[in-house]
Amino acid sequence: MLEYYFPNEAAEPLLWHPVLFAYTLLVSGADLLILVALAYLAGSLRRAIPLMTMLGIGFFTVVLAGPLADLRSPHRASLIFTQPHIVSTAANPGISLIALQSIAWLIALILSILFALLTFSYYSHQVFQASTGFRKTFYRVFSLGVNTSEKYRSVEKVAKIVAVLMLPFLTLWGIYPSSLLIMQTWNPAWRSWSLLPVTYFADTFVVATALFMLVYFFWRSRSLEREVVVPVLKIHAAGSLSVAALTGLQMAVWWFWSPSTAEMVAPLIPMMYAVIAFLLLSFSLSLVSIRYPVMILAVSLVAITGTFTNKWNIIINAQLISKTGLAFLEVELKGLWLLDTVAPIALGVAVFIVLSTLFPLEVRESGE
Amino acid sequence: MLDMMADTSRRQFLTTVSAALISLTPAVMATGSEKPTKRYAMFIDVDKCYGCMACVIACAAENNVPLGSFRTWIEHLVKPDGVNIFIPKQCNHCDEPPCVPPCPTGATYKTADGLVLVNDELCIGCGACIKGCPYGARFINPVKGVADKCTFCDHRLAAGLLPACVEACPTGARVFGPLNEDNELSRTVRSRPVQVLKPHTGAEPQIYYNSLPDEVNR
Repeated sequence: MLEYYFPNEAAEPLLWHPVLFAYTLLVSGADLLILVALAYLAGSLRRAIPLMTMLGIGFFTVVLAGPLADLRSPHRASLIFTQPHIVSTAANPGISLIALQSIAWLIALILSILFALLTFSYYSHQVFQASTGFRKTFYRVFSLGVNTSEKYRSVEKVAKIVAVLMLPFLTLWGIYPSSLLIMQTWNPAWRSWSLLPVTYFADTFVVATALFMLVYFFWRSRSLEREVVVPVLKIHAAGSLSVAALTGLQMAVWWFWSPSTAEMVAPLIPMMYAVIAFLLLSFSLSLVSIRYPVMILAVSLVAITGTFTNKWNIIINAQLISKTGLAFLEVELKGLWLLDTVAPIALGVAVFIVLSTLFPLEVRESGE
Repeated sequence: MLDMMADTSRRQFLTTVSAALISLTPAVMATGSEKPTKRYAMFIDVDKCYGCMACVIACAAENNVPLGSFRTWIEHLVKPDGVNIFIPKQCNHCDEPPCVPPCPTGATYKTADGLVLVNDELCIGCGACIKGCPYGARFINPVKGVADKCTFCDHRLAAGLLPACVEACPTGARVFGPLNEDNELSRTVRSRPVQVLKPHTGAEPQIYYNSLPDEVNR
């Protein structure tokens, strides 16, 4: 019988609050931008790129609002940028992934905005010509001097270079914070969740495409276009199946190769079953939706429920497993935790709405 | 003539600068690989601890530790044969501290004496170091909003005193000192079979135990 083990855990069982859980959902903004960059370079999904760009930038802009709300001394948050621990020294050995990701966020955000400005430059010029007053000035600035389709073709080449530059920084975000959970923490569940980065990467594509379909459904109502929906559905189906398979594989790895770990993570297993069920259902519905696009609402809602369940299990439930591996700590969520959690997501949606009033969510032809 | 003077002075200038750079190089390099003057460590004799909690209370009083959190604590193990074992635990002031790399602002750092400390002015209270510590030795100080942990009572060391927990221990179960000097600590660690907690983490902890049961090594 053992008593008094790790009492500091008992004092504050949930160190990273549900705000961080919401934050992991906002990471899907990075995945949308990865999709945008890849699609732009491949010359595919052209009709979907503007909506994805705006949604991606909307979510990615506010991605740090989650952890900011979780800091105990938020007034010193700017130190992450002014004194980042990204060089190993005798006094500060190692490199902080949090600092590295914060800088990657800044670079990726600047590049994403530059990419959006470049790709919307000719559109801005067209709106500038048809506008008056403040709108005219606004769109004149955003046209970046691109006033002919020939100039726009040159700008497209620059946009492709920017898309290539965006990719490594956004990919870093695609596997974050799973890389942080595995590499720089000693939570036994996270440390032994060997498939977490790849699961996380696939999972954020699921939520990214689900968000896209949800917004697209309500925006286009009943005039859903197959050429926009079907490619996104295919990515979504592949992502859903991957996450379901990887979650099942992780459970099998624990059961067959590490029974002691399987025993320790037992409180996480019921939700893992739920994640597999939700994502397999989302996968099946995706296949049906390819024939009946109106079904994308169901695909989206089921997938978002599945990814919410998955993120809650990974961030909140796994955090409650004691570092000793001997206990599953219980916690009572207090105060306005739900409001705190929803606020960063709402902020992302707000940024998206503002952007959608300024820029088009769909293109008919190149640059228009 | 003027050209020659200018050439000479340029040569002198270059020579002086080169000499200065060469003489500076070892100093700059030494800063990066500075040898610790001391290497503070602790030995805890589990056989001598009877769980009186004097160290826990002395630490809390000395360091104003908030209620519910602990810079040091004592684990109590009852073996199947009824034997009671008490194991004092705290920050291990590791040689390869897993809590230092995750800190995004460098607030958590290692001193030349081997102490792992927190700079309250730089800590943003993100909790990354707490998650990074395998020993559960860190916590968020709810009053200050920063990470908190054992400092080996560095303020007492500066005054030539022992850490409060060591001074309070009635049985002398805790032995403290610089490991790289000839003293009771270094002699004990060298002469007795000692263990550390969670050696598999690679943290190279600097709290040495004897008679440590496997059950607590989690």
